[in-house]
Amino acid sequence: MNRASARARELGRGHGRPEGRAGARRSAVFVALGVGLAAALVAGVTVGAVRVPVAEVLRMAARALGFRGIAQPDATHLTIIAALRLPRVLAAALVGGSLAVAGVVMQGLFRNPMASPEILGISAGGSLGAVAAITTGLASASALALPAATAAGALLAAALIYGIAGIRGGTSLLFIVIAGMAISSLFNGLVSGMLLFSKQYEVNAYLFWTMGDFEGRTWQHLALAAPVLLPGVAALALFSRELNLFTLGEEGARSLGMNVEAVKRVLLALSALVTGAAISVSGPVGFVGLLVPHLLRLLVGPDHRALVPASALGGALFLLCCDLVGRTVAPPMQIRVGIITAVVGSPYLLWLVVRSQRRGGA
Amino acid sequence: MPALLEAEGLAYEAGGHRILDGAGLTVDRGDLVGVIGPNGAGKTTLLRIVCGLIAPAAGRIEIGGLPLAGLRPPERARRIAFMSQDTSQSFAFTVTEVLLMARYPWLARFERETDADRERARRALAYVGLGGFEDRSFTDLSGGERQLVMFARVLVQDTEIIALDEPSSSLDIRHQDRVFSMARELARERRAVVASMHDLDAASRWCSRLVLLDRGRVAAAGTPEEVLCSAHLDPVYGVRTLVSANPAAGGLSVAVMPERLPPRGMRVHLVGGAGSAMNLTRELLRLGCEVTGGIAHEDDSDEKLWRSLGVEHRAVGAFSRIGDGDLEAAAALVEAADIVVLCSFPVGAGNLGNLRLADRARRLLVLDSGPGDVPRSFLSEEARRAFAALEARAELLPYERIVEEVKAAGSYGVPEVP
Repeated sequence: MNRASARARELGRGHGRPEGRAGARRSAVFVALGVGLAAALVAGVTVGAVRVPVAEVLRMAARALGFRGIAQPDATHLTIIAALRLPRVLAAALVGGSLAVAGVVMQGLFRNPMASPEILGISAGGSLGAVAAITTGLASASALALPAATAAGALLAAALIYGIAGIRGGTSLLFIVIAGMAISSLFNGLVSGMLLFSKQYEVNAYLFWTMGDFEGRTWQHLALAAPVLLPGVAALALFSRELNLFTLGEEGARSLGMNVEAVKRVLLALSALVTGAAISVSGPVGFVGLLVPHLLRLLVGPDHRALVPASALGGALFLLCCDLVGRTVAPPMQIRVGIITAVVGSPYLLWLVVRSQRRGGA
Repeated sequence: MPALLEAEGLAYEAGGHRILDGAGLTVDRGDLVGVIGPNGAGKTTLLRIVCGLIAPAAGRIEIGGLPLAGLRPPERARRIAFMSQDTSQSFAFTVTEVLLMARYPWLARFERETDADRERARRALAYVGLGGFEDRSFTDLSGGERQLVMFARVLVQDTEIIALDEPSSSLDIRHQDRVFSMARELARERRAVVASMHDLDAASRWCSRLVLLDRGRVAAAGTPEEVLCSAHLDPVYGVRTLVSANPAAGGLSVAVMPERLPPRGMRVHLVGGAGSAMNLTRELLRLGCEVTGGIAHEDDSDEKLWRSLGVEHRAVGAFSRIGDGDLEAAAALVEAADIVVLCSFPVGAGNLGNLRLADRARRLLVLDSGPGDVPRSFLSEEARRAFAALEARAELLPYERIVEEVKAAGSYGVPEVP
């Protein structure tokens, strides 16, 4: 027994059960996320140009759940909440959770804490799909066209990344980031090219979409995206153990009996689909997929069986809060949620780069 | 009954380079097979291929008589474990979490690790000497500690075939030894263990069989004694090696010999025994002398050295007396030598003949025993008298002076570089 391990054993004695402390901390984080999410949902529907008291919102909720003998809520308030605010906050929560999970998956897949849908160019692929749907007029012909085209564009970008990463183990930070940048520029170039040949109102429609916001999101948006996002996120969560194995490197994962190529294809396709469907609702909202998983990895640890659900909750909470801030800091102006996430996210990304440099590379 | 792991005719190419070119490997239960060879010989590739991590361009791999390619990935991982040299990890998993990942092939889709799995992980960690490290972050460990955790992970995976890719490359000598003894322990449990390694001494000590790779081909395979000889090693590694028995640790000791100077065209005969001629043999060969030796006893350390270096010599059976016939046979070597050196060794009845042999030298130098040498001693009055007679006609010189004398005598033709 060497001295280091004797010392470690002595330290370990104070811990009691080895699982205990980390497990308790994990539970506390989940409780905090759940409570925070509920509070943010309530705040999201009460706060705004017209203030609706919390008690009234709770009464509406109780009536909707079928409780009898509760006073009729104000009809205007009911309309504001049911038609405007509720779809908006639910969209924000759904998109936030989805983007955060897509981010976690890509980071695990590429063993790279800086991978995320926007850095890998998957968001740019979605934008290309969106602009194609808008400029061809398909978007105005069918409500289904924009989400479908966005998802298709995201899948195309994912396929490119898969191809490039396969050329040579491609998990090094620099390689993936440069490949993602190249794909992003390519797609952004294509987007600009398409806009050049389109009519002014189409450009406006695209710009409106691209700024990333939840204003004017309706039940219809939710009805189109939720059937993709909810099962998509659930399916990604089922691969948590495989994501853990991916962090050992592809060779390590293969040696433990994982069908690496098949799992990688499924995960990339699913996360691209989820990203595409999410940004078809909100526009390309940045940094959620990077920032939220990172923060939660520090809190619950890197085990994806805890990290994926925590990121789903955390992403929802984060975007709800950003939306809430955007609606309330400078009334009557509404600051778009994409702007808030960029303002919060960019300094965080910089800090990440600096920290990884100091540690001698990520 | 086929061996547990059999591979033959393996070929693999990467980036237009042929990495493996017909290499093969057989590992049975109870074997610890060492794969040795210079950098780039294809050791790691061979291990990866027999573990099913990469597919060969050609060749046959069978696990217990069944083709490896027919196994589904989890099935394969329940039978073969691979310990990689790469221990990098970007995320701060705890040591226990890393170990439990090895239970993946044993668990069904929605099954979680059991307490038994945790216990297995804990024991494996204690076995490699890292008890108490369970909750440490894997990313905070030193390179050597990570390597030990990876070894423990192989134990947690619990397979009948184990491949270790340079398992001791980041370890200090104590842990190197520990890893190899644990690998042999695994072989004793009737598992088949194969390890690539650079340390040839350790390979000879721990492995039951060795495979020497040279540019993707098997240059030699067999027991350590069969494989580790200069005839096999020199062309593969491109150096001159000296293989000798390692008397303290057991096994063999492989040393790289310094480059030889060009031949001097002079012969030196060493009358030695009991290891007294080893240093001079090496030094004179390096100086480009033609060296002969004898009469030694078989399996005496001088005799072993001469044998391994291909030095022409005469020897008699261990513990037997040097007879007249032996003297006549050796006299030809002595008389052909420009210089004969009588080394320092104890003289008894068995090797008294060596003093008579030395007497037939054209020019005789007597090595004065220095510190660390075998002291010269005499077990009989007859031996003492014979030596006194020799001393009267020869020069008694310390080691360095003898080397000087040889250099001075043989310096014709070759300018000595200071």
